[in-house]
Amino acid sequence: MNASMRNRILLTLGVFFLLFIVIAPFYYVVTSSFKAPQEIIARTPTLIPQSFTLQHYEKLFRASNFPTYLINSLIVASGAMLLCVLLSTLAAYGLYRMRLPGSQFLFRIILITYAFPGVLLLIPLYGMLSQLGLIDRLLALIIINVTFTAPFAVWMLRAFFTTIPLELEEAAALDGANRLQALTYIMLPLSAPGVASVAIFAFITSWTEYMFASVLILSDANRTVPVGLAGIIGQYQVDWGLLLAGATVTMLPVLILFSLVGRSFVEGLTAGAVK
Amino acid sequence: MSLIFERFECSKMFQRCSLLKKNYIMNHAMNHAVHLTPRPPMFKRRFFGLRRNMLAGYLFIAPLLLWLAATILYPLLSAIALSLQDVRIIGTPGKFIGLDNYARLLSSESFWQSFGRSIAWVVGNAVVQTLAAFVAALILNQRFRGQQFARIWIILSWIVPTVVVVIIWRWLLSSSGVVNFLLMSLHLTNEPIGFFGAPTSAAASVILINAWRWFPFMAVTVLAGLQSIPQELYEAAAVDGATAIQRFWRITLPLLQPVLFVLGLVGTLLSFNVFDIIWLLTGGGPSNATTTLPVLIYDTAFTKYRLSQAAAISVLSGLALFIFALLFIRFMAPKQEEGS
Repeated sequence: MNASMRNRILLTLGVFFLLFIVIAPFYYVVTSSFKAPQEIIARTPTLIPQSFTLQHYEKLFRASNFPTYLINSLIVASGAMLLCVLLSTLAAYGLYRMRLPGSQFLFRIILITYAFPGVLLLIPLYGMLSQLGLIDRLLALIIINVTFTAPFAVWMLRAFFTTIPLELEEAAALDGANRLQALTYIMLPLSAPGVASVAIFAFITSWTEYMFASVLILSDANRTVPVGLAGIIGQYQVDWGLLLAGATVTMLPVLILFSLVGRSFVEGLTAGAVK
Repeated sequence: MSLIFERFECSKMFQRCSLLKKNYIMNHAMNHAVHLTPRPPMFKRRFFGLRRNMLAGYLFIAPLLLWLAATILYPLLSAIALSLQDVRIIGTPGKFIGLDNYARLLSSESFWQSFGRSIAWVVGNAVVQTLAAFVAALILNQRFRGQQFARIWIILSWIVPTVVVVIIWRWLLSSSGVVNFLLMSLHLTNEPIGFFGAPTSAAASVILINAWRWFPFMAVTVLAGLQSIPQELYEAAAVDGATAIQRFWRITLPLLQPVLFVLGLVGTLLSFNVFDIIWLLTGGGPSNATTTLPVLIYDTAFTKYRLSQAAAISVLSGLALFIFALLFIRFMAPKQEEGS
């Protein structure tokens, strides 16, 4: 066996091992959510389901408040996504396309807010939002999620905004387009994958957020999916089928959205650190 | 050589393609622009153009800055104000008590224990994640079939909600779970291990689970750094007879330094910030073994109802992180080359 052959085999093993570590748990959880209860708790785990049932999903949607949680999460994530895209594209345009004095400094400030640990703001934000009467309101979660996604969104947009030639905008300016029009009709269409990635980043992050949602929301009717699901973990005596079905439904939107923009998402994610 | 040439041709073709697309969009854009503003304000532009332009630029950035000022800067200042009072539950009036909260914390054992646990948490995560991320990035940097797929979907564990991660691992690690089944059938243990039952194993499990969640993020970042290293350097080194290990230490690592610097700084801050995964897996237990500072803040405020004290912990943690960041930037920042 020669060296290149050995390298190929090692590489293949490495790739399989890597993907196994990341993906296998998901495969196992999703397939198990369709298994009958006795198979789920069987002493010997089954890799390929031997039974098929939708009973866990039925229970999830009929006997728990899960549908309400889903709607709440959808409202929070969509609202945060829209506001985040609006604020971050405006800011990114000003920062990367207009050669302003001090824009480096402003860029750094926005970077700092991205790395700023949100947990340190938990107490004062709770106080502030309760003074505004926003406790137990979904609007509070939208506000928080914009705060913690927009700075990174600006960072992600850098890779997409800085590669578009300035001449395009100059041509538009000659034709009398103002800056806002240049942003809307030139920058946004040309950096569409970037904007989509940012939107989906904001959606996913808001969909996932647990800490603030667990503190700012008091009533069951206003809970989001992560908090609601965490409540189910403690509430019943461990019903694994129900939890696995809940986990599957919760990650479904994330998987669908991510598969739409996967490549440019990862590109935007990493570009900030490389350039 | 021919490879390099091919790549060059390719990128030229790509540029041409995207130029065509851009031309198309530009024409489109200009049509629109003409529609929207029939009268180009050339006269004004000449005289006030520069200043107006700058003002407009700041107006673009202003909404985000104001938003961040209202939701980060203002709360930060109000946290300091709150930490100087004795508020227990939000909405009740507090009395100004000066630095009492700080004095109490600095002399309390549980605060310093949490402080130590946070350091252990950050260091443990950094070690595990860095190792895993480097191995993953070096693998993904090779050529193989399905490379695109692997490079994108490796990030899966990072994008799913924490609560899903928690359910997955609680289940896999439960006493009747797969991990215990495997350990028992390999005769590594005779009875199921309660991973979250004992302090040390609980802390180790939570660190490993969090690292499992975060290492792909680090891996794709390192991978992007690897790809920005010119291939010619490796070819030249290979011609000079450098071994793979030498190439790693002499080319890869030094050129990755800027990326590693950003990851080290941002990664530490984000890692410190992790709360939900610990809280949902162990609740800070057993016997406080996983109570890091974020867990302590949450617990102090919302189960012990001592809001002002929690604010004081936040301020002290922020101060510690600030000092860390300053030191890290001072000593770890990649050195700029002369003249660049």
